[in-house]
Amino acid sequence: MGKRLDLTLRIWRQKNTNSSGEFVTYDLENVDVNASFLEMLDVLNEKLTLSGDEPVAFEHDCREGICGSCGAMVNGKAHGGEDKTTLCQLHMRHFKSGDVIVIEPFRAKALPVVKDLVVDRSALDRIIESGGYISVKTGSAPEANQILVKKDLADRAMDAASCIGCSACVAACPNASAMLFTSAKVVHLGSLPQGSTEAASRVINMVDEMKTNGFGNCSNEYLCEAACPKGIKVSNIAKMNQWYKQAMTNQPLSE
Amino acid sequence: MIKQYIQSQIGKKQLVAITGLALILFVMFHLSANLLLFLGPDYFNFFPELIHSTGIGLRVIESGLAAVFFLHIGLTVALVRQNRKARGQQYKSVDYSNRSIATRLMPYTGMILLLFLAIHINDFVLQDHSGVKSIVGGESLGLYGLVYNAFANPFRVGLYVLGVFSLGFHLSHGIQSVVQTLGYSHPKYTPIIKHMSRGLGVLVAVLFASIPFYFSYMNIVGCCYVS
Repeated sequence: MGKRLDLTLRIWRQKNTNSSGEFVTYDLENVDVNASFLEMLDVLNEKLTLSGDEPVAFEHDCREGICGSCGAMVNGKAHGGEDKTTLCQLHMRHFKSGDVIVIEPFRAKALPVVKDLVVDRSALDRIIESGGYISVKTGSAPEANQILVKKDLADRAMDAASCIGCSACVAACPNASAMLFTSAKVVHLGSLPQGSTEAASRVINMVDEMKTNGFGNCSNEYLCEAACPKGIKVSNIAKMNQWYKQAMTNQPLSE
Repeated sequence: MIKQYIQSQIGKKQLVAITGLALILFVMFHLSANLLLFLGPDYFNFFPELIHSTGIGLRVIESGLAAVFFLHIGLTVALVRQNRKARGQQYKSVDYSNRSIATRLMPYTGMILLLFLAIHINDFVLQDHSGVKSIVGGESLGLYGLVYNAFANPFRVGLYVLGVFSLGFHLSHGIQSVVQTLGYSHPKYTPIIKHMSRGLGVLVAVLFASIPFYFSYMNIVGCCYVS
């Protein structure tokens, strides 16, 4: 059995989107350092349930850092601020006994709080619906060398494709901008032969959809890149900027 | 299409970047002309006299600059307003300790620059270049004399130093931001551009600031170039 921690948790509790929330303080003793952050919240919820209180609502699914469901601001940092770590992969060994941990939902006007730490990320889905797909039928998996893809472009597409849509970039951005998320999708699809056909209309439509949903503008602070659990690079934003400019002036998109 | 571009988030940013780039080039040009101050009135006054002799040409350049300047500000105000609205409910606990100070202060250094520019235009552009304020040692030294007399006042020296350091700060984020916003990114060159951007910001501030300090010193020791 590992070391144990005694913690004070200040958690944002909010009944629903329309109610005003507040921080509630909970003392949680005897937390295993080997527990993940979500497991620590499970222990708290167990305790709350047994005492007849409402458990803290938080979103989660795979708990392996690959689905993008979990996420919250922990001590003011998206996903807790550890390098390339989702909240479920953040472990309690990063905390000390006696720590006060402040847990707040991701905040953006476009991502309203549903309950406690759960936010509605449909706005990101709407951005995908506006162009984050390819319309041609690609059929079943083809022979791998039938369509040749340059190695650097394949790498770029693969890196961009690792975005899990967790919205930490929006949460960390001082302007609540969705540029990193959108650029990852635009660059991922636009770098590959199947996706490049629609690249111009895709970048125009997805950029417009960001604004429609009320996300802010990029001010090149790069806090999104620092917060991204998948290490998505801001070079994707530069590429999207370039493609947008080219698409709007009817130029062919550069590679 | 143009309307959609201007209304879009990226289009606005890119227009801010392009107008910013034009203003950076103007600042560089202004700085190189200013450095002629160190060579004395004969060398320095040549340039203002030359542009004033163009008459209508000067008005065209001034109007163009003003248009670029107000476009830069107007678009930025629109962007910042959208940004302020985009958060909705504010964070109670957010940790921005890794935020760059120059970036964070962009709207504020911009506002200081606007005020500074108004004072600066009133000090040098709107004054009679051969009037009473340009007389040093009984002789009018043109715009050089105006500068010489202006920096006899330590308060104005302080004001100008604050102004040019706001400019340096603004540029240290601005130059690298132009490159990113116009869509250029490279694994090797982007970090170099970031360093150059910061270096250039400091350099511009220090070189501009050297002028009020120099004239403040000249006023104290009471010497000047009388040709």
